[in-house]
Amino acid sequence: MLELNDVRLPGASVAFAHTFAAGEISVVLGANQSGKTDLCRLIAGLPTRASGAVRIDGEPVVAGPRHRPVAMVYQAFINYPNLTVAENIASPLKARRRAQAEIAAAVHELAAKLGLEHLLQRQPAELSGGQQQRLAIARALAKDARVLLLDEPLVNLDFKLREALQTELRALLKASDTVVVYTTSDPRDAFALGDEVVLLSSGEKLQAGAPIAVYTNPSSLAAMQLLSDPGVNLFERDGHTHAVRPEHLRVSTDGELSFDLRVTANETNGDESFVHGVVEERDWVVRTRGMLEALPGDVLRLSARHDDVRRFT
Amino acid sequence: MSSIELKNLRFCYPGADEDTLSDLNLQIANGEAHALLGASGAGKTTLLNLLSGLLVPTAGQVLFDGRDVSELPGRERAVAQVFQFPVLYEAMSVAENLAFPLRNRGLDAEAISARVAYVSDELELGDRLARKATSLSLFEKQLVAVGKALMRPDVSLVLLDEPLTAVEPRIKWRLRQTLRKVQADLGVTMIYVTHDQTEALTFADRVSVLTADGIVQTGSPREVYQSPAQEFVGHFVGSPGMNFIPANVLQTVPGDRAGFRPEWASIDPGGQLAGSVGRVSLLGTRGGVAEGLVTVFTEHGEVNVRGPVEVQEGDAVGIRVDRYVAFANELRIAEGELA
Amino acid sequence: MSYKPQNNRAWLGVLPVLLIVAFSAVVPLMTVINYSVQDILDFNTRFFVGFEWYVQTLNDERFIEAFGRQLAFSFTVLALEIPLGIAVARGIPKNSRLTPLILIVLALPLLIPWNVVGTIWQIFARSDIGLLGVAINAMGISYNYTSEPLHAWLTLVAMDVWHWTSLVALLAFAGLTAIPQPYYQAAELDGASSWQVLRYVELPRLRGVLIIAVLLRLMDSFMIYTEPFVLTGGGPGNTTTFLSQYLATMAVGQFDLGPAAAFSVIYFLFILLFCWLFYQSVVKRDEETP
Repeated sequence: MLELNDVRLPGASVAFAHTFAAGEISVVLGANQSGKTDLCRLIAGLPTRASGAVRIDGEPVVAGPRHRPVAMVYQAFINYPNLTVAENIASPLKARRRAQAEIAAAVHELAAKLGLEHLLQRQPAELSGGQQQRLAIARALAKDARVLLLDEPLVNLDFKLREALQTELRALLKASDTVVVYTTSDPRDAFALGDEVVLLSSGEKLQAGAPIAVYTNPSSLAAMQLLSDPGVNLFERDGHTHAVRPEHLRVSTDGELSFDLRVTANETNGDESFVHGVVEERDWVVRTRGMLEALPGDVLRLSARHDDVRRFT
Repeated sequence: MSSIELKNLRFCYPGADEDTLSDLNLQIANGEAHALLGASGAGKTTLLNLLSGLLVPTAGQVLFDGRDVSELPGRERAVAQVFQFPVLYEAMSVAENLAFPLRNRGLDAEAISARVAYVSDELELGDRLARKATSLSLFEKQLVAVGKALMRPDVSLVLLDEPLTAVEPRIKWRLRQTLRKVQADLGVTMIYVTHDQTEALTFADRVSVLTADGIVQTGSPREVYQSPAQEFVGHFVGSPGMNFIPANVLQTVPGDRAGFRPEWASIDPGGQLAGSVGRVSLLGTRGGVAEGLVTVFTEHGEVNVRGPVEVQEGDAVGIRVDRYVAFANELRIAEGELA
Repeated sequence: MSYKPQNNRAWLGVLPVLLIVAFSAVVPLMTVINYSVQDILDFNTRFFVGFEWYVQTLNDERFIEAFGRQLAFSFTVLALEIPLGIAVARGIPKNSRLTPLILIVLALPLLIPWNVVGTIWQIFARSDIGLLGVAINAMGISYNYTSEPLHAWLTLVAMDVWHWTSLVALLAFAGLTAIPQPYYQAAELDGASSWQVLRYVELPRLRGVLIIAVLLRLMDSFMIYTEPFVLTGGGPGNTTTFLSQYLATMAVGQFDLGPAAAFSVIYFLFILLFCWLFYQSVVKRDEETP
């Protein structure tokens, strides 16, 4: 269990507290500059402009980064370039003066878990980006830390690799009773990986909880916006701001609420279409299944359910 | 603006044993927005450099409007390029950056300022013209880099090398749409290189899927998504990619393997496949019902099904497949609907 | 909003460095300043004279002449070495198998002891047996650096350029290799000339290393002593006597410790002033360009 108290991130006007549970993956979701990296550095004990009290399993942690039971994986694939894959994985164990046999066994087990067995004698430079990041993760796991921090670890990987590694990571990380903190700016990661999502905006904690619960009951417009990909659509009714998610709009003439969207752009990734346009002088986007035929200038009648609309004051 | 043709293009780095590109053929129409989609290591960068004139092909030809430019240096090709990060002249203002390629080609000042006004207007950069390039946000800088690429009225080809890499995820689509709009307005031939299928499918009129073995399919985004020419394309395009099972499981399907997209299947006890739910990942709700991706372990491997989620991990379920693409020796031979 | 550093103990880590600097720099400097305000007749007899030595030094014609020569020399070698160094750096291939070899050859002059450099040129440029001197005379140009002040000057400048251009070139080359390839590619596609690539791509990105190069060369050339001492001994006449050599004559030759100390302080302050002025102008320009 990792407890944070009185955490003050750069740019924030209020401090926050949060408890991360062991054996769970907590996804910290925030835009660039929202304080995600500072939060990780605070937990790891690295120099940072953030301040706060860190307790691991109830014990206050004040030791320097080398002596904390914390491992970290970074955006960039950081490994020892002059050591082989096997030596890289072994490095945290050697630093703790574990027995040779124990180290060898642990290296093989971790390499097998991360699909690196056939690469043990290679140097990091001979690996692909995905393999390098897997090695960095193996090294972090070898430390057998109480807390594992992953700071946007997949951001620099190819699309397809990211997808594959995301699924693998979930299975891998769930198999231990470590506290896993995973930061990202992509709401999809929160759903794919997180037992819990913590929303971070300008250094402040907006909301936390199971991803689907936060998604269904956002506490604020900013929280709703942050866990939405693409952003939410706004409209005014009775002097209040209302918001509806892009996937909660249907192209149909019958529904509890109706809107006319003047199409400005239409994008698709194959299974879904993202139709951008203007409703009541605001920029909107609709996410629908399949490849929708809509051209700029077209007017689409949209409908939404009352239950899917959130009102904010 | 030109049509582009690659004819039996081959490239081998000096000293390398194997070709990086071999026997590549591709035709791109004048004014087309074309996407080259491939994983890293597929030779995307090499192909870009052959088009921009940084590299000379080992064999074969690069034709612009039928004219062989294979040996021509970049500056004589009327090619412009936008890079992964904004490449600008930092000491210059936005207007000077835009004007630079034209000034070097000796256009008169009046024509240049008219073009600067036109392009900056098109990109909604009008109020930024006097600013130093270094004072802009990353997004605006990349917009200026795009503008610089579009300055020459006689530009044959604009190359875009993963131009959204440095842009924040949430505003990527804005730059993508701006690109799409200026491409259509100016009628410029554009080649967009990326590993991201969403970018390829949303940007392009036609998409080419590039692998280490060459281009495996060229077609409209819809064709590439719905009718992959090879199993690899079905796997590579789509997130997650196509599911593959032995063709005879679906009975009437010909060939040796059948592929289907996660959204072409649904959880249904009366379906053709059976298995137990291995993973559930929610993606939100639709119509008040949770929806997402259900991964089912079947005797033919993992199968992903997208749609409403009403099951839990461990449940025994059936899967109904409504639509398929049939493959023989990894190549598409048929596709259709299942009653 | 500002944040307090969490741990002030870090300052303790800097303490050893501060102590070393104090003993190696501040203490000797204080000794010199102490000397500069006294008239020292022998070890036990000394008078406080205030700023007298300073006034005397600043009005000393020979000091003013040496100072003028020093300025002329420093700016001449800077004006040659910086552009030449950049030109050499641009000529070094970036990814060739020859690159390491070229870099080693370039670094050679930097590895030669300074008095050896002086000796090499002293022989090299001699009009009776030196290769350079004889060659120039053979071309029909009368050349003798031991008798002609202009020739002595040109020889000194040539020697300094030979000795130090490599340093600028190596620094500039390091700067050039840090420029990402796309900048060159974009310039090529924009139809930029080689001069424009230098002006708009390379120089803006070399600023950092060039500032260091200029500072190093400015300070170093201002303090030049060994090479002219070996080559010309300050002659013919006093035409190549620079500040440091005049100072040495004063302190060691004539044992005028008081005036020499005042001279040293003035000398030191001038170098400090130049570096500060240069640094300020650079920093100010940085602030103006947002």
